[in-house]
Amino acid sequence: MKVKIKRWNGVATWRWDIPEDDVCGICQVHFDGTCPTCKYPGDDCSLLSGKCGHNFHMHCILEWIKQDSAKGQCPMCRQRFEWTEQPNDMSMDTTHAPPEI
Amino acid sequence: MLKIWSMKKEQQKDENSAEGNGAAAPKKKKVTAAQLRAQKDLSELSLGTTMSTEFPDPDNILSFVLYVEPDEGMYKGGRFSFTFNITPSFPHEPPKVQCREKIYHPNIDLEGKVCLNILREDWKPVLDLNAVIVGLQFLFLEPNASDPLNKEAAEDLRNNREGFKRNVKIAMGGGSVRGESYKRVLI
Repeated sequence: MKVKIKRWNGVATWRWDIPEDDVCGICQVHFDGTCPTCKYPGDDCSLLSGKCGHNFHMHCILEWIKQDSAKGQCPMCRQRFEWTEQPNDMSMDTTHAPPEI
Repeated sequence: MLKIWSMKKEQQKDENSAEGNGAAAPKKKKVTAAQLRAQKDLSELSLGTTMSTEFPDPDNILSFVLYVEPDEGMYKGGRFSFTFNITPSFPHEPPKVQCREKIYHPNIDLEGKVCLNILREDWKPVLDLNAVIVGLQFLFLEPNASDPLNKEAAEDLRNNREGFKRNVKIAMGGGSVRGESYKRVLI
């Protein structure tokens, strides 16, 4: 049997390179979703990882850290919150849709 | 190559223009971050048998009443209620909690202000409403004389624990303690 591919659609998904069922401790929303003020996940609403190992939506943790009552501390472990230089990479997970025959 | 980024931009543009001529677009009530988070916290609330909530305005989840009926400790048999007001900056700010009944308690003053570390200096946004209600429950089980809002009650607790217990009973029964009269809160 000869198959002739007329057209194909490439499909890609992405997710943050952190454990899958993790939620942002501040807004309690899944990391693959956005913080409550954003509409689109991804580069527009990125994550920030602390040196203490705790991750948050960037918008959520910045909102907290700018408050005086935060005392510059991570809301999870109360250590000084310093973010890592290297932001989390997006891991690309590419799959192809079946070609249309 | 699929143009997802340009597609996204177009979608955003459409939405912006829809917002611009507001009359044409169907009006959608914006759900605030505080509401989203409060909704989540409330759905995960574990009240047990000694607590219950009441929403005076069912459309406003940011304002509710929590009833506490301690089933052990010195305040056993009493029924106390607390108003919870969640500000728009929740969870970056703690909920505002106040006791509605006049109470004889070292950590709650006669106006109902509550002294609980996680409602003040130790609040952090990863804490949830469950943590707060557990904290309130704990205040009834272990009143704490070291950081008092009601200094007289704290003195009694520190110097004369049995006398303090008696005073709690008197106050809950609607009597007077140290010249202050209380309403009956026994169930």
